[in-house]
Amino acid sequence: MTFPATAPSPAPVTATVTIRGLTKRYGRAVVLDGLSLEFGRGVTGLLGPNGAGKTTLLRCLATTLAPDGGEVRALGLDPSDPGGRTDLRRRLGYLPQSPGFYPHFTVFELVEYVAILKELTDRRKRHREVRRVLRETDLTDLAATKVRKLSGGMRQRLALSQSLLGDPDLLILDEPTVGLDPEQRMRFRALVSRLGESRTVLLSTHQTEDVAALCERVIVMRDGAAAFQGTPGGLAATAAGQVWLSDHPPAEKGLFWRTADGRYRTLGARPPSGVPADPGVEDGYLLLLGEGAGGQSDEPPGGSAGESGSRSAGASDGGEGA
Amino acid sequence: MTWHLPGDLVERYAHGRLDSAQVMSVESHLARCPLCRAAVPYEDGWLAASWERIEDLVDRPRPRPVARVLRRVGVPEHVATFLAATPAPARGWLVAVTGVLAFAVAAAHFAARRTPDTANALIPFLAVAPLLPVAGIAMAYGRHVDPVYELQAATPMAGWRALLLRALAVLSCAVALSGAATPLLPGPPGLAAAWLLPALALTAGALALSTRFAPPVSVAVLAIAWFGAVAAGPLLADDRLLAFSPGAQALYGVAAPALVFLIYARRARLDPGGPR
Repeated sequence: MTFPATAPSPAPVTATVTIRGLTKRYGRAVVLDGLSLEFGRGVTGLLGPNGAGKTTLLRCLATTLAPDGGEVRALGLDPSDPGGRTDLRRRLGYLPQSPGFYPHFTVFELVEYVAILKELTDRRKRHREVRRVLRETDLTDLAATKVRKLSGGMRQRLALSQSLLGDPDLLILDEPTVGLDPEQRMRFRALVSRLGESRTVLLSTHQTEDVAALCERVIVMRDGAAAFQGTPGGLAATAAGQVWLSDHPPAEKGLFWRTADGRYRTLGARPPSGVPADPGVEDGYLLLLGEGAGGQSDEPPGGSAGESGSRSAGASDGGEGA
Repeated sequence: MTWHLPGDLVERYAHGRLDSAQVMSVESHLARCPLCRAAVPYEDGWLAASWERIEDLVDRPRPRPVARVLRRVGVPEHVATFLAATPAPARGWLVAVTGVLAFAVAAAHFAARRTPDTANALIPFLAVAPLLPVAGIAMAYGRHVDPVYELQAATPMAGWRALLLRALAVLSCAVALSGAATPLLPGPPGLAAAWLLPALALTAGALALSTRFAPPVSVAVLAIAWFGAVAAGPLLADDRLLAFSPGAQALYGVAAPALVFLIYARRARLDPGGPR
């Protein structure tokens, strides 16, 4: 998906999540470095290379990790306060990057277990809610199947289903489309865009296609800080005048790849005989991360941001995913 | 269909005023007669609720055996379901506890045959039994021991509520198993039960330390300290049972509630999103 070079400026948002000066260290590695950002209702995409601090940010927001410093306000609640934290958890849905499961549980039992942890104590209401989220994620037919027998995509849908329990106001999804086939991804997009109509959804992903298709806003993280906040169109617009199509590969070093029609798409300086092309979210993202200066590829990035360049910077997230 | 349900019968059926034989007869007819089915009044809400009850009966999972036992002793349904969802390592722990206790009982009998001092023969059992619930706590809750931890950590039950519920379950199991093994031991019954107060104090100590360190680290520290205390008896007072003496028991009796109070005061620190 491409955007016109003169994209609209970010629409004003009523922030439901505000972060000021957030810091987190693992030993000597600074993973979040005074991060400040805000976003509101709708779907907000979170992009960034591995090690940029995305997962750590999401864990701080999901209250599974305490930051070392800074302020977080989500849905008007302060997660540094025990009462605010518990109240936030009551209104929160969270899909971690690598969710674990009890393999001997059935799909129904696993979701019911999380429903109990979400204080759905009445059995009948709880079962109704479990059936609802299983329907939402097309898992009804697998309700009695043991988790150990599920494929990767099915497990991902299971993880997504538990995050929908209790109809949360804030939904935090860490790479939710990993392992989904194209049809499932389309259904996921439909579901998330519907959820985003009335909720705040933060979607961390490497798929710039998902961001372009789903998100009203996008945040790009680099080295533990926000390198860009705005609309996908705004991110694409940052690449205006730096995206070229040519019949031959550029002589100078730069990021380029051969497209399906046999032409070369180059980011950065204009190659000989290059003609301007409409910039896309991915172009803006790659240029923002400085990939246009050195990396090169014979294959198109294929919408998988952060995978195409090899010079992604940033501190390690302590081995727990960034 | 040559006949139809009389109007008053339909009304009595709709208001639940028929006996079960009449209900069966009416429903047998309704199954085959669309005209009479259309004549039965119903409310959408009632129909939806009825379907939901049927759906719930048909596809709800059968409670796990542990949950059924807990329900029978009065544990609320959702708590029983939560506790029955014991991670696989805990099942391993249960098997290990049984094995360790069996071994300790056998060792006590073996030692009692070789020495006239049966009290000394009890030392291995007394030293190991208090650590069994503590070891269970190490496997009960935490980022590295529970595969579902990250999902749990973002729920309102995260932190002290989940940890204490599981710790209570672990303690109850360990105390029940150790209690069952106690009458099988040689030696005076009072001494054979001298593991109980240390078990309570060490369990409370493990939870109190977990407000600062990860549960496995807390348990490892306590286990080393406990074995050190047992081994120190002969060195300090030439008494191999010093750690189980009446004076020591009084100390455990005071320490356990004090540690419980400390856990309560620092419970926010058991929260994954709270301060450490």
